[in-house]
Amino acid sequence: MVAEQPWLYTAMAAYALATVIAIRGIVRARGGAVGAAVNRSYEPLVLGLISAGVILLVMALTERWIRIGHGPFVNLFELLMSQLFSLGLVLSVVYWRLPVIRPAVIVVLPMMWVLGIWVLLLEPTASAFPPTYYNKWLWVHVGVGKFFLAFSLMGSGVAGVILLRKISRLAPLFRHMPPDSVLDHVAWRFMLLALIFESLMLIAGAVWAQDAWGRYWAWDALETSSFLNWLLLGAAIHARLTYRIPIHIGAIAILGIFVFAFMTYFGTPFFSEAAHKGVI
Amino acid sequence: MISLLKRLSSIRLTLLWMALLGVGAALSYDNPVDTPAWVLVVPLVLLAINLLAAIITNPSINRRGGLLIFHVALLGIVVLVAFGRLTHMEAHLEIVEGTGFDTDQLIDIRRGPLHSGKLDQVQFIQGPYTVNYRPGMVRGLTHSHVQVPDGSGGWERKVVGDDRPLVLEGYRFYTTFNKGFAPVLTWMPNRGRVETGTIHMPPYPLFEFRQANRWTPPTATEEIKFWLQLETGMDPESAWVLDAAQSRGTLVVRAGERRVELQVGETVRLQNGVLKYERLSSWMGYKLYYDPTLQWLFLTAMIGVLGLAIHFWRKFAAYPWPQQTSGDEKKTQMPGHPRGLNVALSGLAMKAGRSERE
Repeated sequence: MVAEQPWLYTAMAAYALATVIAIRGIVRARGGAVGAAVNRSYEPLVLGLISAGVILLVMALTERWIRIGHGPFVNLFELLMSQLFSLGLVLSVVYWRLPVIRPAVIVVLPMMWVLGIWVLLLEPTASAFPPTYYNKWLWVHVGVGKFFLAFSLMGSGVAGVILLRKISRLAPLFRHMPPDSVLDHVAWRFMLLALIFESLMLIAGAVWAQDAWGRYWAWDALETSSFLNWLLLGAAIHARLTYRIPIHIGAIAILGIFVFAFMTYFGTPFFSEAAHKGVI
Repeated sequence: MISLLKRLSSIRLTLLWMALLGVGAALSYDNPVDTPAWVLVVPLVLLAINLLAAIITNPSINRRGGLLIFHVALLGIVVLVAFGRLTHMEAHLEIVEGTGFDTDQLIDIRRGPLHSGKLDQVQFIQGPYTVNYRPGMVRGLTHSHVQVPDGSGGWERKVVGDDRPLVLEGYRFYTTFNKGFAPVLTWMPNRGRVETGTIHMPPYPLFEFRQANRWTPPTATEEIKFWLQLETGMDPESAWVLDAAQSRGTLVVRAGERRVELQVGETVRLQNGVLKYERLSSWMGYKLYYDPTLQWLFLTAMIGVLGLAIHFWRKFAAYPWPQQTSGDEKKTQMPGHPRGLNVALSGLAMKAGRSERE
């Protein structure tokens, strides 16, 4: 077992416990009279566990950095670990600052578990830091990209609640949340934030690519995929602001955009050896 | 006219041209040789027309400062990219240590029809370079030493490599993985002028076992074959540094049936003259890139995102995020209502409706 693994395992345990306690708390709160007070005593514990997971992932990333000598920018193991950290960080802030959408955590955390299970199945092999990755724009590119994915995930969590409410057996779980029309606004607001950060990600990536490879755009796997994602997000926002799209269709569109973003981040490594294949 | 512009600014057309651009982008993935540029150019032109018409006629855009900035910036990016392609230049070159840049060294030249830079004024002298390798022959940092004019008649030393291009007169020179050795030879013919020059060997260490080349001296009829046996300290199992100054090479010379191994400073008499192996030098491969719009593109894109951020900031401030009051009286503030609409969370009949189009 390498240095970062105990921290990673403990962090995943914290996220798992947060998931279980959140689901249990929401299931227990599903009943009760209309207008009655809702038992939210479990929420501080959920917030504490997500925050603990974030801190533990900071420790895991630090241990790995010390062990291999560079930040989490190269192989899938470290990319997943880094994303679990940033997604958890944004989730904990949103959970803290927006209490009305807290039950959406039972949609968001299982989505994060896809990454969690994936990282636990990978070998923590050390990666070689390419010479073109020493550029400071890499940090900007990756940093704003994390916010893009995190806001997409938050939007998808709220969109997921809208869709789960269509299932009669699950609808009571979210009866204490605002109506769909409000959740629709919240979900799209997250997607507007995602659009800003994805735009910044593309700009920072282009500056880095110009410095590193002598061209700002070359339609490589990640560039093409992230541009299509930006176009899809832009088209969806235009359609949402112009036409009366049914709320559940809008929710499906948000989930579709998130799945596309997810494939851009984590699907590309299946057919690309490095983040930008062939140019490191 | 306004009626035509309104038709051209249709949001349906925006979505259609966006879809078309998406198809063009997907077809352009990995720059396949059989995909023509018009798959991107046509939808971009259509989107630019649609965008320009919308900026002129749509009050949702032209009466909202931030949104207007964003859309004008998008249009600006399309125009700048087009101008950049018309004026750009790309090429490759290999330059031997100790020699100066010359436009005759350029190969694989691609330039836009309006390219008019000051390439003839670019001057630099290639110095030595080092490349770090990690265990497993993983390439690390490249440090290429060059000398550039200091503006007062002298020369200034600079180190470039990897993500630090040499930028002269707007032309950007990037080091590449393409680099190698070049034995310096002097040819002293039986009759004629003495000449000193270099023989470029294939890239090293990419073609470690194919360090060979051939040359026919001027006025000679016999071709000379060269093979360079290098001692660079290369160790695939551990970290090492490729440094021409620390490397040695035995030059194997074959002319006809004759085979001679030369060390630095040694000579060999051949049929048409004498060949001297002066020293072992190196060459560095550069990628040249020129696009006068780069800084403007960056500035325009950043101003656009800033405009969008200002627009959203104002929207979010006017329509706050839904907030829940503490205690038993659970209330939600509705986004989309400027002063907020407090409604009971559980069970109250609520008709939220959509907000005005943001």
